[in-house]
Amino acid sequence: MSATDHDREQGAPIAPGSALARALDAYAVPDLSDGFADRVLAAAEARPSPLPDLRRTGGGGGGAGRWRLGRRIAIGVTCFGALATAAAASGLLERAGLPVPSPERVWASLSGKEIVPQPVAASAPAAPPPADPAPVALAPVRIEGAIDTPEELAEAFRRIDEVRKGRMEQRRALIDRRIAEELERRRAAGLPVPTPEEEASARARMEEARSRREGLIAERIARRRAELEGRVEAGEALTREDIFRPLREDRRALERRERIERLQRMTPEQRRDALRRLPPEQRRELMEAWRARREARLREGVPASVDVPAPEQPASETDGPAAPEAQESPAPLSPYGTQTPEPPR
Amino acid sequence: MTASGEPSRPPVGDDAALAARLAARDPAALREAIARYAGPLHRIAFRMIGDPHEAEDIVQEACLRLWDHAPRLAARHPAGTPAGASLRLSGWLKRVATNLAIDRLRAARRLSGEDVPERADEAPLADARIETDERDAGTRALVLALPERQRAAIVLTYYEELSNADAAAAMDMNIKAFESLLHRARAGLRQAFAAQGDAR
Repeated sequence: MSATDHDREQGAPIAPGSALARALDAYAVPDLSDGFADRVLAAAEARPSPLPDLRRTGGGGGGAGRWRLGRRIAIGVTCFGALATAAAASGLLERAGLPVPSPERVWASLSGKEIVPQPVAASAPAAPPPADPAPVALAPVRIEGAIDTPEELAEAFRRIDEVRKGRMEQRRALIDRRIAEELERRRAAGLPVPTPEEEASARARMEEARSRREGLIAERIARRRAELEGRVEAGEALTREDIFRPLREDRRALERRERIERLQRMTPEQRRDALRRLPPEQRRELMEAWRARREARLREGVPASVDVPAPEQPASETDGPAAPEAQESPAPLSPYGTQTPEPPR
Repeated sequence: MTASGEPSRPPVGDDAALAARLAARDPAALREAIARYAGPLHRIAFRMIGDPHEAEDIVQEACLRLWDHAPRLAARHPAGTPAGASLRLSGWLKRVATNLAIDRLRAARRLSGEDVPERADEAPLADARIETDERDAGTRALVLALPERQRAAIVLTYYEELSNADAAAAMDMNIKAFESLLHRARAGLRQAFAAQGDAR
């Protein structure tokens, strides 16, 4: 018999009736003592009621709970430290106004030594020029003194365009408001008002005239700006007056223009009186200038009746840098004080 | 009662009703549980310990634990439900009694400072038993000489006629580990029995 078979036989079930079984069966068990059940009942009644269940600790005892809590605290502290380090490294704390001391400063505060700023190493290579000049071009241009560079001139043009755009929007809103007020006034007075078709037609004509006028102004602005750019490229320094005053006109033309602007700001009666007080030759000159302007406009196909609405404010009266282009097209004005008719209603 | 002295098995779901009555603190239910299960528990405890008084203490402690745990058992196994039908108080009590007996044996071993002998039981308790009852002295010596877990395996499977699975459940073991333990217990028992025969 092999050892395996012997081992298997030794561990085999105990056969009933075998010698071992008979020996085991001789292990008799005494009966329970009398009154056992009564003693158990008495003990059960004297037994204190069981305590309520402890709060569930997730399968572990109090010790395991403490270990789990400690582990959570350690994980939380580690995560906080990692986030704080990342925030300090990315500069987020400094952007939030929280100063982050450098290691040198911390060491100096510990050791009591002063921080000696390191001199800039002479051998340090110079910073290479930016490969892309676009960022430099995008930087805001500051105009200091006279305008003598193309960048400063472009910046001046940009500012002028910005003011001009806002002013044009104000004018358009003002015109719309006055038209609406006039229509309301006529309705309240029982006067005839244009039908919707007539009003739409009139607005279309106004829009067409405005587009044409703005196109002419844009052409003049382009020519004017090309002239100014040429002067700057030639090395000339431009002042505010060079930009805001037309340079093509001579002094007399400038005076005549200013006089027209002053007359434009007057009421018709004042304008009539002012013209009467002028010397005859000046009055004649002014009338001729006005006629020349009017004929020029008629030749360009701009009907005088819709050239510029009468209530429009002269550009020179508004605040801020006035656009020279706006001053080149004053509202048509009769030298006799008869104002240009309002747009058809 | 069966031929082996086992009380007749209660009908299915009866243990759940008994647990419910115990949970309601019905003394009659506890008396009924004692009448139904104390005998088998006492046999297990006595054959594990070898002392009738300690065996009674173990049975009493097991019954009192049933009394204490009855509300929890009744809550987990409501009467009239599949969970209630699966409740077996006899298995639960045998597990408690076996563990209590093993704990007492280990505590006695710690207090005495000696190992439980593997082959021959020279303990005073066994000697006293052998001297007072020579009729079954040899058998007691055979069983009490086994380590406590092997002893429990023999008691549950041979004397109580539990299946290996039920005995493994009573000892909180998986079936493979229990079968290995039972194999070692039988081998040890046969060797001790053979040695006893040789000694005679």
